[in-house]
Amino acid sequence: MRQVAVIGVGAHPWGKFEDKTFLDLGVVAVRNALKDAGMEWTDIQALVSGLVVFGGNTGFNPGQTLAAVMGETGIPVTNIWNMCATATSAFRTAYNIVASGERDTCMAVGLDMSPRGFLPALGAPDDRQSEYLRWRMMGLSNPGYWAMECRKRMIKYGTTERHLAKAKVACSKHAVLNPAALYKKIYTEEEVMNSPAVCEPLRLYNICATRDGAAAAIICSMEKTKKFTGKPIKVAGVGLGSSLYGDPTLRLGYLSCPTEGTAPILSESYMSARMAYDLAGIGPEDIDFVEVPDNSSWHYLQYLETMGFCGPGEADRMLDEGQTMIGGKLPVCPSGGASSFGEAVAAQGLLQVAELVTQLRGEAGDRQVDNAKVGMAQTYGMLGNSAAVILNR
Amino acid sequence: MRAVDENKQIPAAKGVFTWPSDNPQLIGGKCRECGAIFFPRYLPFHKPNCQGQTEEVLLSRRGKLESFTIQHYASPPPFIKPEPFVPYAVGLISLQEGISVAGMLTGMKTDDIQIGMELELIIEKMAEDQDGNEYLTWKFRPVSKQPHE
Repeated sequence: MRQVAVIGVGAHPWGKFEDKTFLDLGVVAVRNALKDAGMEWTDIQALVSGLVVFGGNTGFNPGQTLAAVMGETGIPVTNIWNMCATATSAFRTAYNIVASGERDTCMAVGLDMSPRGFLPALGAPDDRQSEYLRWRMMGLSNPGYWAMECRKRMIKYGTTERHLAKAKVACSKHAVLNPAALYKKIYTEEEVMNSPAVCEPLRLYNICATRDGAAAAIICSMEKTKKFTGKPIKVAGVGLGSSLYGDPTLRLGYLSCPTEGTAPILSESYMSARMAYDLAGIGPEDIDFVEVPDNSSWHYLQYLETMGFCGPGEADRMLDEGQTMIGGKLPVCPSGGASSFGEAVAAQGLLQVAELVTQLRGEAGDRQVDNAKVGMAQTYGMLGNSAAVILNR
Repeated sequence: MRAVDENKQIPAAKGVFTWPSDNPQLIGGKCRECGAIFFPRYLPFHKPNCQGQTEEVLLSRRGKLESFTIQHYASPPPFIKPEPFVPYAVGLISLQEGISVAGMLTGMKTDDIQIGMELELIIEKMAEDQDGNEYLTWKFRPVSKQPHE
């Protein structure tokens, strides 16, 4: 594999846009990434797009549709879906297309519009599918799964509701420094702990909202980056993980799990992070800052352990000691994270990549992580998906 | 046609639990070779490299509460929203087979839920539709409690 770099990133703001289509959002992200790279659309030699599952047939073919809007050039287009890990998975495929030498440039794009409120069930009724039965037989929502894993953690390690609140507060303190964040308000621990219960022990402000958005990144072979004006940031490693047999997590969408695990919890994320470390030839101790998928306060804490930044049960202490703040030992979600943007499912991973690039270029303004040289991002998806990326300058 | 004067009891999904039964059980699956056990029946797991046949297995009716959540809102369909809706508990129950299964908790106040408590499976009404049909699901209740009926 040859050395490649991210040469441009772009996004459409996160929010709810009922007067727009997902295509409108995607085109803005594509154009902003091109502008950032100093490229024309005709410089793009391949395209990888995440699917838009609430977008009908066009949503299952968004790459070709985006190409039509940008002007069709006959390039190879791949559309992929790995649940909430879709955008980072698209990034990995784009990386492989360029790193393998097949193409010199490739754009990865994720675009998403979802219904208001908690994400609902998809597909036809099927009494044989656990993903149907969990809704049908007990109305078990996504936050309900996270809440049960969160309580396991509280029992095992003594994590408190105040720790859960602190994770939200930490992200909110970063968000006010980021002009692009959707929710720019510093929360107090009391506000979080007094917010309405949703799926106890998780409260409203412990859970990220679903929002619409789009983001794109352009990958370029290192030797061709000089042709363009965008400031290249090297791709050190990418990882894609699925679950390990014996993972004791009650995996989102499932109805049973091993009681005693023979594998780490969230094993898909454990594996994607290890793969990214292996390819980069570095370890968690070499990471200067990280964007984790903070779908809930539980994820924020658990991923610090799953990704190897501390031992089991030690994330609470990292948070207590302020290690996860900008200026701390390992700034976590300097962008403000999903808790400050909301989650646009199929786009979130590329928003994280855009944050890594912005930080590593030293262009993050008030939220700049000092001396940021190596950044990592990870997104996880239900039913056993996770993807990770490590960039360096 | 005779008038229906009794509420009809309908499992909200078929093939998931034994019904009607005095001692209903969840219908899981098990691999004959590697012994992997899973629920529901049609989501098989195997140890890596095992290509064994799976078979139906009826799961233990009793277990211990490993974790739970109190969900404060009603999920959209295909969940059938009970009227009136009140916050309800869903638990993760560890069985002697070595797996834990999810299910609603019943027969106690949410304040009385204790991790480690012994629970047993029952089939109970989840909600009813406009015609008075009762939709049934599996739930777990404290072992010490007897049916009120």
